[in-house]
Amino acid sequence: METVKNKLGEIEYSDDNIITFEEKIPGFENLKKFVFVKLEREEEIFQMLYFLISIDEPNIFFPILPIKLIEENYPDYNGYEPFGIVKMSSQISKITINLKSPVYINFEKNTAIQKILDNTDYPIEYQLFVEE
Amino acid sequence: MLVLSRKIGEKIIIGNDIVITILSNNENNIKIGVDAPNNIPIYRYEVYEKIKNFIKEASKSSSDFPEISDIKSKINKYPKK
Repeated sequence: METVKNKLGEIEYSDDNIITFEEKIPGFENLKKFVFVKLEREEEIFQMLYFLISIDEPNIFFPILPIKLIEENYPDYNGYEPFGIVKMSSQISKITINLKSPVYINFEKNTAIQKILDNTDYPIEYQLFVEE
Repeated sequence: MLVLSRKIGEKIIIGNDIVITILSNNENNIKIGVDAPNNIPIYRYEVYEKIKNFIKEASKSSSDFPEISDIKSKINKYPKK
């Protein structure tokens, strides 16, 4: 077991948790290998949130959420599982998920690819939770 | 920036594999065709920039985790068309 350390804590992972991007991520072109984990934490949101943590730069990490929880008819890519990058906020109504450029993950090969669905109406920032 | 003038129908080649064709123009915009290998993604620039910014912001935002009870019922389902 290896560990990565960042402000989320010290996170253990094994080779099975490593996801390699097939192509570059906009803005983070030099980062390819990430740890894919779920965190054991009290807050309910951690039940559905996953994290991609850069192995080379553990301070860079993204919360992601399976898009099928929001939109069952989301475009398919070779049977990969679509995830949306989540922008967190302490205000629930300001938490957004990117539906325009999903991260598709292949859990058999442990690879991922981020696609920009340029010709769709999906927004870059979609409000994730209904207002109270 | 390399600046070239092209007439409608004329092309530009980038590297060995990317060909840009000026297809047509009207008052407000021009239509451009791009031929490139499948492994080279092509996007409208402003969409790419917005996404880049979102990803950067997302990577900085992730230490505020609010307490949300009964979270599954509060997911904002994407509207059906």
